[in-house]
Amino acid sequence: MKHARLFVAGCLALRFASAGSPAQQSSAARQSGNSAASAIINQYCMGCHNDSVKSGGLTLSRLNVDNPGANPEVWEKVVRKLRGRMMPPLDRPRPDEKTYDVVISNLEKELDAAAAANPNPGRSETFRRLSRTEYQNAIRDLLALDVDVASLLPKDDAVFGFDNAGVGGLSPTLLERYLSAAQKISRLAVGTPVRAPASNVLVLPPDLTQENHLEGLPLGTRGGTVMRYTFPVDGEYDIQVRLMRNRNENVEGLTEPHEMEVLVDGARASLFTVAPHRYAIGGVYYADEDVDRHLKLRVPVKAGPHAITAAFIPKTGALIETERQPYNAHFNMDRHPRVQPAVYSISVTGPFNATGAGYTPSRNQIFVCRPARVSDEDRCASTIISRLARRAYRRPVTGDDIRMPLAFYKEARKGADFDTGIEMAVRAILTSTEFLIRVERDPASVAANRPYRISNLELASRLSFFLWSSIPDDDLIDLAARGRLSNPALLEQQIRRMLADPRAESLVTSFADQWLYLRNLAATVPDARLFPDFDDNLRQAMRRETQLLFESVMKEDSSVVDLLGANYTFLNERLARHYGIPNVYGSHFRRVPVGDSIRGGLLGQGSILTVTSYGNRTSPVLRGKWVLENILGTPPPPPLPNVPPLRDNPTTGKILNMRERMSEHRANPACSGCHRLMDPIGLSLENFDAVGRWRNRAEGDSPIDAAGALPGGATFEGAAGLKRTLLEKPDLFVTTLTEKLMAYGLGRGIDYNDAPAIRAITREARNKNYRFSTLITEIVKSTPFMMRSGATASPTRSASAIARSPQTGRSQ
Amino acid sequence: MIVTKMAISRRTFLRGAGIGVALPLLDSMVPALSAFGAADAPRRIGYVYIPMGMNPAAWIPSDEGRLVDLSPSLASLAPYRDQITVVTNTELKDMAYPTGNHAASNAIFLSNVKPKRTEGSDYELATTVDQIAAKQLGKDTAIPSLELCTDLIAQVGNCDNGLACAYQNNLSWSSPRSPLPAEADPRVLFERLFGDGGTAKDRLTELRKNRSILDWVTEDMSRLQRRVGAADRAKIDQYLESIREVERRIQNAEQKGSSTPLPALERPASVPENWEEHVKLMFDLQVLALQADVTRVISFQMAREASTRTYPQIGVPEAHHPTSHHTNDAEKLSKLAKINAYHAALFAYLVGRLKATPDGDGTLLDHTTYLIGSGMGNPDVHDHTNLPAVVAGGKGGRHIRYSTPVPLANVHLSLLERVGVHLDRFADSTGRIEELL
Repeated sequence: MKHARLFVAGCLALRFASAGSPAQQSSAARQSGNSAASAIINQYCMGCHNDSVKSGGLTLSRLNVDNPGANPEVWEKVVRKLRGRMMPPLDRPRPDEKTYDVVISNLEKELDAAAAANPNPGRSETFRRLSRTEYQNAIRDLLALDVDVASLLPKDDAVFGFDNAGVGGLSPTLLERYLSAAQKISRLAVGTPVRAPASNVLVLPPDLTQENHLEGLPLGTRGGTVMRYTFPVDGEYDIQVRLMRNRNENVEGLTEPHEMEVLVDGARASLFTVAPHRYAIGGVYYADEDVDRHLKLRVPVKAGPHAITAAFIPKTGALIETERQPYNAHFNMDRHPRVQPAVYSISVTGPFNATGAGYTPSRNQIFVCRPARVSDEDRCASTIISRLARRAYRRPVTGDDIRMPLAFYKEARKGADFDTGIEMAVRAILTSTEFLIRVERDPASVAANRPYRISNLELASRLSFFLWSSIPDDDLIDLAARGRLSNPALLEQQIRRMLADPRAESLVTSFADQWLYLRNLAATVPDARLFPDFDDNLRQAMRRETQLLFESVMKEDSSVVDLLGANYTFLNERLARHYGIPNVYGSHFRRVPVGDSIRGGLLGQGSILTVTSYGNRTSPVLRGKWVLENILGTPPPPPLPNVPPLRDNPTTGKILNMRERMSEHRANPACSGCHRLMDPIGLSLENFDAVGRWRNRAEGDSPIDAAGALPGGATFEGAAGLKRTLLEKPDLFVTTLTEKLMAYGLGRGIDYNDAPAIRAITREARNKNYRFSTLITEIVKSTPFMMRSGATASPTRSASAIARSPQTGRSQ
Repeated sequence: MIVTKMAISRRTFLRGAGIGVALPLLDSMVPALSAFGAADAPRRIGYVYIPMGMNPAAWIPSDEGRLVDLSPSLASLAPYRDQITVVTNTELKDMAYPTGNHAASNAIFLSNVKPKRTEGSDYELATTVDQIAAKQLGKDTAIPSLELCTDLIAQVGNCDNGLACAYQNNLSWSSPRSPLPAEADPRVLFERLFGDGGTAKDRLTELRKNRSILDWVTEDMSRLQRRVGAADRAKIDQYLESIREVERRIQNAEQKGSSTPLPALERPASVPENWEEHVKLMFDLQVLALQADVTRVISFQMAREASTRTYPQIGVPEAHHPTSHHTNDAEKLSKLAKINAYHAALFAYLVGRLKATPDGDGTLLDHTTYLIGSGMGNPDVHDHTNLPAVVAGGKGGRHIRYSTPVPLANVHLSLLERVGVHLDRFADSTGRIEELL
């Protein structure tokens, strides 16, 4: 809180600084060395940041400019302000560019040298519970089992922007959920006989348009969905499909008979016909209650994962009718009704007549041996348990480690068979704190506060949770157990191997989704009156576009700056239409060259423009804040309490345009300090409406003024201008991305002590054309990643970092 | 204390998916199905929503003061007359707009404030009365409150003209911007309450397994604690505290489990296809949840505003919504009354189940308060006055009739007080109602 206030004050200082004379140019730029920096700081900064004025709560009077390493917290803040050209204020005398660079490079050189002489790698939490995502991936890798983790565990709250950082706690309720999850998972993995049929239902989003072919479904089908489901045992199962109803309980879009097929693993299991059953008495309609009751079949299915598909056979006439409709979206009976029926849910109920545990990837992975005789059982159990415990605990295991799981096995084996015994051992391992909690422990020899290199095994875990959001595989554990993982050449080799592995997809689905706020898209529902053409298909397409861009940079190992400035993007027909880009047909995504169009790069993507808007209008504030936070790395502090929201446009009188409405922020001194940083960036994106469509006129048909400015004073025109300006200084963006990746990789907030490492990473990346793999490799090889600070008697550094809010947990 | 066989072996439990096979194991933390003494019997509160008001001629009892003869629509509640209070002529004033009254009716019933007019995701209402109750009554239970419904429709965007679907879908709001989605699937509800079900023996076995796993985890933790520094030891203390708490819960459940004969709990397979069966099943599960003290606060949207459900089983093959626009037509009014009576009869089923369930020194009905009502009065004109409102539980036998409308908030405020949640005011309340305290 204190930091937030300080920064607000800092913003205010910008506003209240009196107009000064034109910028004077200093000859100091031509000098070199610390005394030069000292002179420049004296000339440009000390007028406000002295003991008596103390602008923004900052005084440099008592600090030695020639030894910034003595006060890194202050000087890193100074460097950041100077790099962003945020200081001195625009209306005060400012040095020329060359002078800026000289001061910055002098300060940085000193700070880096001090950090190298006395490294402070920071202290990640000693205990970190697996996040929900990590738990799901760990189960996948440990037991070859895909579980729906959302139904097993509560979601984690994000800290520092990521949900893997605030995972220290273990409440009783959460512990109960872990116990319950371990029971369910161990049964499913081992294939324990199911005592009663159960049913599982997949319900489709109500705003999913199903008039055309959907990505991921068989060619020559319309609408529908694929349900991926792990069948517990060999047996028969009922598959039932229900159709989407409108609020009058009629099946929406069912005006004539339609054919629907159900497929199991791509092979047709049944073809159904559905026909309307609706009649009127005295002008009152009766719902077709029963028309989908027969969409049910019983099929024999082997245990393990299978794909159940339900989709319609397209009707040419209906498609033509769909095309004649004004909207792409068809899901709401009032605004843009479905023209054809749609799938609401698929349920699987069973097993009936179960015949056995069958052969599943999970059983294959667990039962590495099969006892031929009872006398072989204990040895085989011991082998199975040792293997699982090693992966689950992420380290070599001793006899002591498997003593208890083995005892659980034996106890359960007494009253039942071998598999039941193993099930209990798996259940115990999954509840063990060694599995659920990652522990980084100070070696006994480390003195308080002293940095030390983390162990090879700790490194293996850091690496795999960073790149895979999951437990290390056998290769990593082997290498670490032999003490070889920290060998630079072998480490680089492992990083390359891991980035090429499909598990690295988590950098897209976990890291990028959180960094860029893509997760918020799911909960974004634009006002249906203003944006009648928004549906789940568009929402999914937007998210996919951004994910595919990030994935292409990762997989092709291209420059991360392409995230901002790519000359290509990924589109399907729905999204291309939304953007007004012609000649893209069909539901599948493909790479589309866009030249230097604004649709290349994150700033022109519907996903980001939509999550930074409100349901009924754009928000230059949210957009500006998003750019400051995620691209420039200089987030504004949270708004002051009790600030009233922007007034809705009045229904009478003059309709204000967005710029005029934003000017309210300038009128209020409590707001203007920070809003003058955010609003000009956001206003430059006003040519995109609240769902990311291009527009030339805004609400109320007012013309759009997309003039924009960065906090450093650079001015530009529109989204293209913003993109061009940001691309002129790629280091700012790369630094931000590095910080975000580092926070995610370390599961803690980044602060001034990490700045030297981040500079080194960015520098190295620049030398290698900002290649994605260079960024990742340099992060892993950095001091904060390879090392850790020993505990202190006083509150630890990480504990105090947590106490701050994410926005202020860094030097401003 | 037992969960009566009737409660859980009803065929409806299995009817949903047309199966009737043996019992699955209960997976873990089944809360104790415990007996409460007179002094410590917890107080519970529930809210049942019926859409589109009522036909007042058939709903409002003719007597005032002491409730002697129940009206035709409420006749099925007669056996429980002494614990029924009918409140007539309450209103929700100035909380709706000229259009969008169905969504508004649902939204204002428990919030008693005017919803922000929007069809987007920037909806805004208020913390609803059940959630205010849950903040206090929910502290000691595994689940602070349950939000239930019977409709599987999950519409987004426009539902009723000018108001977002969130208003029409959600009765309960935990804050002005947080609607609480309701659960319609009995299977999902059951698993939230009781895990997978199973016999008493199954359940005890599972509890013991979890306890022995926890014993081992504790041992491991303690060993680790000796090997870390002082700052980190505090963290392990927290973990150990959590483990002890879970062990305490398990021990509780075990004790109760071995001292009282627990019947088998059967997990419902899915949603019954017949709506009446579905409603009764949802009521059965509510009684179970209250009895087991898993929760003490429930809201249940029995049917949805603007529903066009038809009721051929009671001689109303026409849809509810068009029927409710009766234009004072005698036949339509009579059919609306039939629907009202049917809904009230389903509510009477719940009341009967509560009455039949022993709790402490009395019955569950003695220690539970349920309000059934609607946010709409006369559905023909979409108004929000002369609302249907009936209170079941505790003492009753009264018909409170106001000559000029009083805020429904007075009823809410009084019922909160009755269950020990004291507020000076709620929404537009003007005072407490003595007979409801």
